[in-house]
Amino acid sequence: MANRLAYGVVALAVTAMFAVPPAQAGKERIRSAVVAEKPVLVQQRIPQRDRRRDAVDPVPPADLSRVGPPQPNLPSEFIPIPDRWRLIENLGVNERWWDPYNQNTLKADRPLPGTEDYFINLLVLSDTVVEPRRLPTPISPNSSQKPSSNDVFGEGEQLFYLQNLVVSLSFLQGDTAYRPPDIEFRLTPVFNFTRAEVGERGVLRRDPSEGKVRNDVYVGIQEAFFDYHIRNVSRRFDFDSFRIGIQPFSSDFRGFLFQDNQLGFRLFGNRDNNLFQYNLGYFRRLEKDTNSGLNDFGEEIRKDEFFIANLYLQDLPRLGFVSQFTILHNRNDEDSEFFFNKNNFIERPASFGDERLHKYNVTYLGYNGDGRVGRAQLTTSFYYAFGTDSHSQLNGNLVDDDADIRAFFFAAEPSFDFDWLRVRGSFLYASGDSDPFDGKEEGFSAVFENPQFAGGDTSFWIRQGIPLIGGGGVQLTQRNGVLAELRSSKEHGQSNFNNPGIVLLGLGTDFDVTPETRISTNFNHLRFEDTSNLEVLRNQGEIEEEIGWDISAAVIWRPLFIQNIVLRLSGAMLIPGPGFKDLFATSQDGDDEILYSILANGTLTF
Amino acid sequence: MRWLKLATAGIAALALWGGSASAQVSQQALTVAEVQQIIAQAVGESQARSVAATIAVVDRVGNVLAVFQMTNAAGTLQVTSGRGIARTNGLEKVEDTFTNLGAGGSPTRKLGAIAKAITGAYLSSSGNAFTTRTANQIIQEHFNPGESFSPSGPLFGVQFSQLPCSDLSVRQATNGVPTGLVDATAGPKRSPLGLSADPGGLPLYKSGVVVGGVGIEINGTYTIDPQVTDVDSDVEEIVALAGQSGFAPPVDIRANRIFVEGKSLRYTDVDVNALRRNPANAQTFAAINGTAGNLVAVNGYAAAAVVAGTAYGNAESGFAQDPDGNYSNVGGVVFVLFNGNNPPTNRFPPRNSVNPTVANGGMTSSEVRQIIRSALNIAFASRAQIRRPLSSHVQVTISVVDGAGNILGMARTFDGPIFGTDVSLQKARTAAFFSSNTAGTYLGTFNSSVGGTPTNQNANGVTIGDYVTAVRRVLGNNALQDGTAFADRSGGNLSRPFLPDGIIGAQNGPFSYPIATWSPFNTGLQLDVVFDNLAAHILYTDVGGANNDTGASCTAFTADGGTQLTRIANGFQIFPGSVPIYRNGTVVGGVGVSGDGIDQDDMVSFLGLHNAGLILGTGVGNAEPSKRADQLVAPGGHLRYVSCPFKPFLGSRQNNVCDGK
Repeated sequence: MANRLAYGVVALAVTAMFAVPPAQAGKERIRSAVVAEKPVLVQQRIPQRDRRRDAVDPVPPADLSRVGPPQPNLPSEFIPIPDRWRLIENLGVNERWWDPYNQNTLKADRPLPGTEDYFINLLVLSDTVVEPRRLPTPISPNSSQKPSSNDVFGEGEQLFYLQNLVVSLSFLQGDTAYRPPDIEFRLTPVFNFTRAEVGERGVLRRDPSEGKVRNDVYVGIQEAFFDYHIRNVSRRFDFDSFRIGIQPFSSDFRGFLFQDNQLGFRLFGNRDNNLFQYNLGYFRRLEKDTNSGLNDFGEEIRKDEFFIANLYLQDLPRLGFVSQFTILHNRNDEDSEFFFNKNNFIERPASFGDERLHKYNVTYLGYNGDGRVGRAQLTTSFYYAFGTDSHSQLNGNLVDDDADIRAFFFAAEPSFDFDWLRVRGSFLYASGDSDPFDGKEEGFSAVFENPQFAGGDTSFWIRQGIPLIGGGGVQLTQRNGVLAELRSSKEHGQSNFNNPGIVLLGLGTDFDVTPETRISTNFNHLRFEDTSNLEVLRNQGEIEEEIGWDISAAVIWRPLFIQNIVLRLSGAMLIPGPGFKDLFATSQDGDDEILYSILANGTLTF
Repeated sequence: MRWLKLATAGIAALALWGGSASAQVSQQALTVAEVQQIIAQAVGESQARSVAATIAVVDRVGNVLAVFQMTNAAGTLQVTSGRGIARTNGLEKVEDTFTNLGAGGSPTRKLGAIAKAITGAYLSSSGNAFTTRTANQIIQEHFNPGESFSPSGPLFGVQFSQLPCSDLSVRQATNGVPTGLVDATAGPKRSPLGLSADPGGLPLYKSGVVVGGVGIEINGTYTIDPQVTDVDSDVEEIVALAGQSGFAPPVDIRANRIFVEGKSLRYTDVDVNALRRNPANAQTFAAINGTAGNLVAVNGYAAAAVVAGTAYGNAESGFAQDPDGNYSNVGGVVFVLFNGNNPPTNRFPPRNSVNPTVANGGMTSSEVRQIIRSALNIAFASRAQIRRPLSSHVQVTISVVDGAGNILGMARTFDGPIFGTDVSLQKARTAAFFSSNTAGTYLGTFNSSVGGTPTNQNANGVTIGDYVTAVRRVLGNNALQDGTAFADRSGGNLSRPFLPDGIIGAQNGPFSYPIATWSPFNTGLQLDVVFDNLAAHILYTDVGGANNDTGASCTAFTADGGTQLTRIANGFQIFPGSVPIYRNGTVVGGVGVSGDGIDQDDMVSFLGLHNAGLILGTGVGNAEPSKRADQLVAPGGHLRYVSCPFKPFLGSRQNNVCDGK
């Protein structure tokens, strides 16, 4: 259960060029470091090396402060002068190692001394989270924190702290102005500290003797890859590249199916002046550290792999809209041994149904779209999942115990900008399983979701993991997840297609109150798609579908107008509806305490 | 589609409930011909597999209807958990203990078959069909077995119920020792080895109603299955399935559709597809009897004959509707226990406390009746955890005892599984016992002569008084003498091989053994105090003759619990479902509940007593919170007292209903 509290540092760091919306990818190089699921943009403009030799008329400078290009055929062309970086020093622009806003060798603005096209790029990022919250919390069955603990639901107040220090070091070779580097090595260790305080024993660690506070320190490697620029295929620098190692990857625009930093090999590139982009990838998942969510090298690599092929098409079906077609095949072979997490809770198989080991093959066919439609911005996602689960944990069959997976997912988020105000609507539908005993698994489950949707981690439901108390050692919903997947955890658990599905309808607003202050609000209504599985798991009839209202607001403040210092304070609460009360009412009169989640977050970036 | 589901569930519920009380408790029983058919089907499959089976068939209340032993099936039965535990550790390789004692004898395969058949019958009802494989899953040190760090099975210790020494159980025959009630058809009958966790015991159904159980012993090993995540092909289970053919439970109530803590229970690991011979084509019983094997007699249980079963609900079965109106208007039909007399009478109508006497604060009969009534009210209103269809109410047995363990009253909802009859009494007695300020002293009165000369050790050489030392080492020197209220959940916390429960590497609870020697056949104090009774009974069933059966009062403690009874005359129980009854700060008895989920059992006892106390206003009720065992701190934190279930009541969203009480 404690892993439910584990903080997922997810999708850390530098978004791969084509894992971000290509609308950005094709333009200036933007390094987006995503820590704590929240993007921090670090812009660095890499100086252009001007080798143009053809004599053309000088273009009138658009920027009057710019140093104009040398005139053709002037004697200075033939006189050795310092390179452009030293040249600029003559103009009084000197490097200060701590200043990322001006030319800085540590930020790959200048080549390494003595070289022309070898660069290093250093990123240091501190991420601090303080998170008070109230969640349904079970009283440990074997020993309690307090006397007179006579029931199942205990003290729900919790406090969570996190400190991450991300250090990312890249070594690049190549002309980095117009095209990806020729070669890049990158290593990103993350130093993590977490502290969790809860109201009951046996929640953070299985052993109630360990009490109700847990401190943990971990160092994980979130990036370690080699990137090689194979070739250019056109004058416009359309290219083919490959990248091998632990790398960030997102299956779609919003992280619905997979968004993580995982071990893989990826061939990618573009064609036709960047109108087409493609990815061909193979990933084999690393085990995660339970409490930090970082990659764990102390464990064997998981027997879980996926192949992905996708194609981005710009301006389809209309100008300004990008369509992406995906096929992802996930093969899980984790049917040979039990796996317990660091806190001694079982993860694989999940403590769910008959708890027998099983494996699955599932293929996701997806369409994703992102872009502009008239005045509106629109993101859409559709997935159809099909495959086979080697053993249904619910249907109880002894012969023909395998199950067909048939599930689908749809999400759309249109938004409209009115000056400094953005209004967005969110709709999400994940199918639920309608009959736990029929040998079909119809609940949609992702590989590793990290949804940036409907308010993302500002929203209570997406931010918090809620244990399915009384229904097994699984989570009703995962931390940083929108699906009600009923899996043991996102970090360690297998996908689970026996789940109630989810339907979300939301309305959100972003107010850019001042250039450095944004206020966001989200109103999401949630319901299960089908509660049959929940009813069986808890041996409880008549669980209603309505989960309730998830209401949240966030203030984001960038005191210096820059992305290097970002402070955020958000608050969310879940006003439970009948279905949620059927599961978690914590009072004698059948009502619920309001569940809340407060998030104070500061990121400092160099 | 949801409306369709609801409608279907509604129709199913209507069908079960019917229009009247009699329809709720449809009376069904096996005929002689049906018992013969079951045996012949099992023999046919055994022949197809070239194995020699011992086959027992019992009815729902535990009457042994036949024991059939195929040629070459006779032999000894080795009791072993397979954990490599040496002899003299509980029942592990108990035949070696007999040798050590100079007594010739051993458990026989007949006993294994009977215990399995009784388990299939006793754990099941019209709402749940459980097997010995189900039992195996819920009695081990982790639930599920093999899931390290997970707390123990919810019915941890239930294997040592229905003991042959139980004062509650009805006996088939007398044997010159104090026997309690003797009757040919009334139950609940005892089981020679308690309940079985060895696959090969299945329930038998007719028209959705339990009519008995079939038990198969083939390999001569009476064991457990420590690994439930694999899929076994167990020949005893396969042969039992053949025997059960035609009497199988409805698919929808089988254990594999019933979920506890989100985990489905095991029914069998094979289904009828595994059979090598179609049971429908089995030979007639006449064709196999005397050729493939023979009916055999078992001392204390059966003659070498086939008899018909007795219908549960008919007073002859020992269970029928309350005839006296003691439990009218409590929310449903109430059954009580009957003796075999004619006309049959309620064995345990509410009566005044014996010890302490009413004059000394003991409960009056009307207080007893109100406690049982209030508990029944809770049961009928509560969500069952182990029954289908969903939204069924709880079905349990409720027992009330006085401070010395005398039965003051018993009643049950109409379809409670039979095992809960004996177990509810064990739980009530256990709570009353450990809450007594003389509990520590009393444990020192153990004095057994099974091993020869009277001694404070049992035949395995365990000094019972040492448990007092052990528990005081954990809880302090006032333990078991300061009147702290121990619910069975609290005592259970101390009776696991790990304290805290389930945590690998933790020390054993003081009433248990270290994991190196612990097994479901060596549970600690619970077994050690009845081991000599079991040993005597096993020798009696095997050898008979000079070996007297065990008396109808378990343990070798001083019999101060009434006429020739010890305070724990049917043995301790160590899983939750009871609370002690207090008046003015002093324990005066206990109320025990068994038959549904353990949280439900807890709630029915705790809230039932609480509500009765409010109604009575006579000072009777739960112990003051400050006197309860959950004030005590053991490794891991506070002991638990009760744990009332999530979503406890049907048609209500109330939760945490025991909070503050």
